[in-house]
Amino acid sequence: MAEMDPMPAARPSRARFMAAAIIAVILFGVLAGRLFQLQVLDGAVYAAQAAAARTVEMPIRAARGLIFDREGRPVAVNTPSWTLYARPADLPTTESERSAVLARAASLSAVPLGPLRQRLTAYRGSPFELVPIGEDIGRDAALLIAEQGDQLPGISVGAEPRREYLDETGAKHGELLAHVLGYTGPVSRGELGELSALGYLRDDVIGRSGVEASYEEALRGAYGSDLLERDARGRPVKVLERLSDPVPGKNLMLTIDSRIQRIATETLKWGLEAAGVAQGVTIVMNPQTGEILAMVSLPTYDNDKFAAGISAADYATYLNDPTRPLRNHAVSDIYPPGSTFKLVTGLAALEEGVTTVSQRWPTYACYQIPDAPAGQCLFDWNRRGFGPLSIVDAYSKSSDTFFYQMAVGLGVERLGRWAEELGFGQRSGVRLPTEAAGTVISKEWAQAQGRPDVFTGELAMAGIGQNAIAVTPLQLLNAYAAVANGGHLMRPMIVRGETDADGNLVRAYDPEVIRELAASQEDLRTMRIGAREVITTGHATNINALRVPGALSGKTGTAEFGTPTSQGVLPFHSWFVAYLPSQAGTTDAELAIVTFTYAAVVRGNVSLEVIKYFFQEYFDLDQDLRREFQVNAN
Amino acid sequence: MSTATATFVEVARSRRWRAFDWQLLLYLLLLVGFGTVMGYSANYQAVGGDGLSQTVKTLIWTSIGLTLFFVAANIDYHWLQTFATPIYLVVLGLLFTTELVGRNLFGAQMSISVAGIDFQFSEISKVLMIVVLAAFLASRRERIGRLSTIVGAGLLMALPTYLVYRQPDLGTALVFVAILLGMLFMSGAGIGWLALLGGVTVAIAPVAVGALQEYQRQRLFCFLDPSADPQGACYQVVQALNAVGSGGLLGQGLTAGRQNQLGFLPVQSTDFIFTVVAEELGFIGGMILLGLFALLIWRVVSVGWGARDPFGANIAAGLGSLLLFQITVNIGMVTGIMPVTGIPLPFITYGGSSMVSLLFGMGLLQSVRVHAWKPTF
Repeated sequence: MAEMDPMPAARPSRARFMAAAIIAVILFGVLAGRLFQLQVLDGAVYAAQAAAARTVEMPIRAARGLIFDREGRPVAVNTPSWTLYARPADLPTTESERSAVLARAASLSAVPLGPLRQRLTAYRGSPFELVPIGEDIGRDAALLIAEQGDQLPGISVGAEPRREYLDETGAKHGELLAHVLGYTGPVSRGELGELSALGYLRDDVIGRSGVEASYEEALRGAYGSDLLERDARGRPVKVLERLSDPVPGKNLMLTIDSRIQRIATETLKWGLEAAGVAQGVTIVMNPQTGEILAMVSLPTYDNDKFAAGISAADYATYLNDPTRPLRNHAVSDIYPPGSTFKLVTGLAALEEGVTTVSQRWPTYACYQIPDAPAGQCLFDWNRRGFGPLSIVDAYSKSSDTFFYQMAVGLGVERLGRWAEELGFGQRSGVRLPTEAAGTVISKEWAQAQGRPDVFTGELAMAGIGQNAIAVTPLQLLNAYAAVANGGHLMRPMIVRGETDADGNLVRAYDPEVIRELAASQEDLRTMRIGAREVITTGHATNINALRVPGALSGKTGTAEFGTPTSQGVLPFHSWFVAYLPSQAGTTDAELAIVTFTYAAVVRGNVSLEVIKYFFQEYFDLDQDLRREFQVNAN
Repeated sequence: MSTATATFVEVARSRRWRAFDWQLLLYLLLLVGFGTVMGYSANYQAVGGDGLSQTVKTLIWTSIGLTLFFVAANIDYHWLQTFATPIYLVVLGLLFTTELVGRNLFGAQMSISVAGIDFQFSEISKVLMIVVLAAFLASRRERIGRLSTIVGAGLLMALPTYLVYRQPDLGTALVFVAILLGMLFMSGAGIGWLALLGGVTVAIAPVAVGALQEYQRQRLFCFLDPSADPQGACYQVVQALNAVGSGGLLGQGLTAGRQNQLGFLPVQSTDFIFTVVAEELGFIGGMILLGLFALLIWRVVSVGWGARDPFGANIAAGLGSLLLFQITVNIGMVTGIMPVTGIPLPFITYGGSSMVSLLFGMGLLQSVRVHAWKPTF
């Protein structure tokens, strides 16, 4: 440049040019250095940050496991439920066009326009999200709206799986197995904090009761996820990769036979209606394995209502019903077992040597309580007394005063220990929620009520299943099943195994022994003989004429309860528990049943009539030995 | 060879054009081309798969700018010296007009719309103020070292600076200050007085910052700690750093930058265009662009060195200051070492006014070069 005729005077000083050049070099050097640092040295860090900011994991739901009965009949399935959605960002922007689209969507889906608009205006999230504005719109409406999609900008339909509960014929019937299956419900906002760690989503469902709750983990499966790339406005742009595949929930096979469940339900319903009783339970079990073949708790409820999202009014009706239809009375409530408990007292008396099989004991109209003032006595139900009785006779005739003596002879500790040996006072461990433990007699039981020890009178009453003793119907059945099968206290089973999608058993769960009873086979057999005598010569002979294939054995029980009626009649619970060995005393019974009816005021044992009717139906007998109930006027 | 080309070659061979700085033109064309391609990529997604409509606009503005470049190169820049006062009045008029009828863009009055085309007068004002200041400093040549030179130049620059600052356009105001300081330094102003002026500027800075709008103030300080408010005021800085870093050595490829294409860079075609360069073309692409800028500034410096008179040298100094300041602050901003101020990257940032003004300024530079070797009058 200098050679091109410069005018040196015009030129700024060389020093300033040098300084400017140095400044420029430094500035460019800093920029280049910074770029090198950001891009080459720390590039991976920033790339990872950027990727994290623009990607989102989108969960992929796993199909909830189906539930079949033991014969492979589906009883809980998933059916699509169609939901109407709006994406606010895609709706027309002008108010009139927007109204027209919403009105059209409302008329096609038969969702009232008012609530539909309300849900949309109440929505406060991203305008790119799908906002549900109408549920359960029906398949035809959904298809129609999908077809007319181009005329309905911003409106779409989606199918969500919904639980549907079926009966033994495959018809939708939410009452037959309501307490066994339970139901699913939406995850609440409060629970979400804890549950989201387990992969639950905001609009997820979770098992709320029954098998749906107790097998939640297996039924739910594992959700998968896709890595989505989204743009700055949060709109998903594309799926980058499948992070994990969803693992569908396991299909379960119940131990329940829904045909037996149906018979047990109908026969119990008949008994309750005929006797004017509100609540009752029937459980049928295979004593060899502990598998529950039927479990009925009445009154029941409709779990399909819950699957569809129960209305507040319906839910309140269930909650306020004094008969508590949502509770499974078979496992969640405890009742005095009455004379059925004589099995425990009797077996304990034999085992502990309080009596021998042949020893005869006097029976009384009223049993004088030892160490109580004279005249303080406990009545026998038979106010005349039976005369001297051996244990088998006393059991079959259900003599109260005999078993008072046995209980007093055993004492609190030994009677309580044998009750526990047979599974009372503890949860059976059946896989159903909210199982009750019940109570057995013990020093602690008395102390919990502020007394140093059990009164002798209380001990005597416990011997006939009153006062301190409270059991669940399932516990009672399970104790009888353990005696019936030769001394194996089985864990009651409600789920038999896992199936394929068609309901074929692919993995059977093994029956589980809780414990082998510490009783001799001889004494167990004595109690089985006693139970057979109950039917043949004793307290329940009116069922003996039933032509069932086997030597029906069982025990009745009643327990007075509550306050007398206006006629002065004390309501009472009635029990009948039975099992069906091939011959008297054998251990091959494959059917055991218990029925409990709550607070009846009629003459006779309502539960005995229910089981009689059950066997008539179960074995399809051309007999009808049912008795009519008469109101007990005393 | 067409007639037009033949004519061009003849003109080019003429004596006057013998001094024409072909390198300057080459670097300019490369930069403009670079900017056009990056603008296309920045708008690739926004307009549904092709960034053509903005690219077409850019090409139109570039043609206008190149025409002005040749026009300015052809006129003798001395001519402008005599017009310094009217030019100064024009600048003030333009900025007042903007103040009165300016359109609201991102909450700032920064452009006015003529026949549907937005034109930011502040851009052309930069170049015109360089001319005004160059004339003033040339006239003060004998007394260049005095304080009165600095005060006079400062007063000349004060009004336009205040007007753009009020728009509010902090970036352009800072560019004015940078031009003033650069030109004073290069023209030989007393170094002591300059240091004093620098001190005063630093002292005034807190006051100026205090007078800023809240949103400007927040953005300004994000570079110190982008994590202070990553979703709010510093969102741009955080996203820009992510984009630049994501580019790595080789970049993600043109139109393939995820941060850019997914809209994480809110003003990616304007002030944050360098993030697109860095993300899509990587460190290599960024260095190529920096290299082109360095070559351009080298040409500016050599024209200034070779200038026949102080006026020409001052013009080169002003243009050099403008380019160096804008490049440094803009790239510094997107790489998180400078505060976020709305300063465009010369020739790369999309914007007709900037492109036309800069090409016009480069035309003046070419004129200084072309008319350096002999007097025209």
